[in-house]
Amino acid sequence: MDIEQERDGDVVIVRLSGRLDSGAAPSAEERLSAALTGAPPRLAIDMSGLDYISSAGLRVLLVLAKKVQQQKGKVVLGGLAANVREVFSVSGFDTIFSIEADPASAVDAAR
Amino acid sequence: MLSFPEEIVLLLLDETRGEFVPLPESVFAIVMSGAALMDLALHNRIDTDLEKMMVVDRAPLGDDILDEVLSGLGKAKAKLEITDALYDVALAAEEYRSRALKRLIARGVLREENGRHLWVFRTRRYPIIDNTEQQEVRTRLRQVLLTDEIPDPRDVVLICLVDACALMGFVLSDAELDAATPRVEQLRKMDLIGQAVTRAASETEAIIKFAATTM
Repeated sequence: MDIEQERDGDVVIVRLSGRLDSGAAPSAEERLSAALTGAPPRLAIDMSGLDYISSAGLRVLLVLAKKVQQQKGKVVLGGLAANVREVFSVSGFDTIFSIEADPASAVDAAR
Repeated sequence: MLSFPEEIVLLLLDETRGEFVPLPESVFAIVMSGAALMDLALHNRIDTDLEKMMVVDRAPLGDDILDEVLSGLGKAKAKLEITDALYDVALAAEEYRSRALKRLIARGVLREENGRHLWVFRTRRYPIIDNTEQQEVRTRLRQVLLTDEIPDPRDVVLICLVDACALMGFVLSDAELDAATPRVEQLRKMDLIGQAVTRAASETEAIIKFAATTM
């Protein structure tokens, strides 16, 4: 999977693309943890290029959400494909995360 | 840190009497199987999605229960039905309980006590010597269930297992459980293997109840 990162003011934008599965999970966890820079951290994750997520991928996001909560920060996901959205719905992860329809809205919501 | 098969054996022991709390053998087998599979998932040996379970790494972990489960998974095909894997592993659940008990005794968490009931029937109890682990699990789960704290993946697995064994009363009072039921439902969904464990355990209990009422 590819992970790109940029900053828009206080918000760190992380773009995930490809597959977030057990193979990609260790590097994704490392990169996402490194993106928690602000105090408190504000993170928008652009998921529009993500075409698959497995349980291992969900765990990466859960660990991230926990770290953000501990630091009293904010993380917002945006642009989930229908199949990824379905995984979030079935697993209840849509009740843990703030989710916006598109990446730009996620950035706005993370401010 | 204990493995999930060890955790579930410990949680199923009544702290004061050292006897296992009543749970149908078939439900126990599913929960023990789920514990082993979820442990393998947290060790990145298997992965799941909404449709399948995949073995992604066959490297042994040095745990005889988990390594045996791992070596038996997916020999015939790369992708498995989660429920099929659950029932396959459940066949050896009693053996895994026995091994987990031996390990807990070796670690000084439990001791084995053999006796006789009415001077005839052999009995075996496992009084808990060190209840630190039970207390820590209870404290941890109470914190996650009674607040909006985001759980870590290990908390989610423990909630799935405790709920499938109908042991929430071990963690929460009746009043707390009533108030926390939506939270339990929210968190137990968060592991896809855990979802399969909950479904299979509920179906098994329903079959047992049906059989009991129609005999």
